[in-house]
Amino acid sequence: MPLIVFIRDSQYGMPIAQSVHLVGLTILLATVLVLNLRLADVALKDSSLHWLAQQLRPWMLGGLAVVLLSGALIFIGTPEKYLASNPFRVKMATLFLAMLFQYGALRRFAAPDSAPRSRAISLIVAAVSLTLWFTVGWAGRAIAFIP
Amino acid sequence: MSLAEWFQWLEQTPASTAIAESIWLFPLLEGSHILALPLSVGMIVFFDLHLLGLTLVGSRAATVMSEMLRWSKIGFAVMFVTGGLLLMCHAGRAYGNPFFRAKMIFLLVLGLNAAVYQVVFFPKMPQWAAGSTPAGARFCAVLSLIVWIGVIVCGRTMAYQF
Repeated sequence: MPLIVFIRDSQYGMPIAQSVHLVGLTILLATVLVLNLRLADVALKDSSLHWLAQQLRPWMLGGLAVVLLSGALIFIGTPEKYLASNPFRVKMATLFLAMLFQYGALRRFAAPDSAPRSRAISLIVAAVSLTLWFTVGWAGRAIAFIP
Repeated sequence: MSLAEWFQWLEQTPASTAIAESIWLFPLLEGSHILALPLSVGMIVFFDLHLLGLTLVGSRAATVMSEMLRWSKIGFAVMFVTGGLLLMCHAGRAYGNPFFRAKMIFLLVLGLNAAVYQVVFFPKMPQWAAGSTPAGARFCAVLSLIVWIGVIVCGRTMAYQF
């Protein structure tokens, strides 16, 4: 596929692909931040989590689609490099957990008929979600520095 | 001392070489600079998308927006500190780099754009009905979105050339 060869071999292929990856990351993690800050009752207390989640969902899924697609195109050019990388393995594992947690836990909290919950549980869920998503980012950056 | 000489000098200060040669400090600064994107640029992106009627539409949107902008200041503080330290390490090489220069010009454009918005449109925001953003404010939003993408592209690309 010419696009994969362009990303791998041309001078500006990789910077462009990674820039697209970063634009997707910016949008995806901004929605994650807003929703978790609201869930933890630290910010945006005037708005319901349900309303925020509803408004941000298309952008969250769009950002996720952009990072997954650009990431796959970067990966497929030199799969052996990434498969041998420890940070890449951590990144994929935490990405899987972060998506699972987002779908399983956060979605339930954002339901319109969500039962009142204790502050402690909200804080823990928000902290776990933020830790998982930002570990994905840090592990991604570590690919360049750690074998 | 010319600006070019000053950038050369900056790269050779003991602090600059210490950061550049540190096994953990440089990656930590670079990672923080990138992962502060959602809290800084991300919040601005959603402000722009809101102005264009593409998200966070409704009666509660105005308070959400002002609060998101307040949070973005923490993100931008991280950006300027980490970005300043990263620049120190590469100042001499960054000076003549076209992507670094473009990034700085883009940031200047974004600063002016934000200042114009702040003075001309921000005070009138509560008077707009939902979905009736004036054309000038929409222009500011589109400009901001495009140029912020340019900043990310230039920032990522210049790092490949050092």
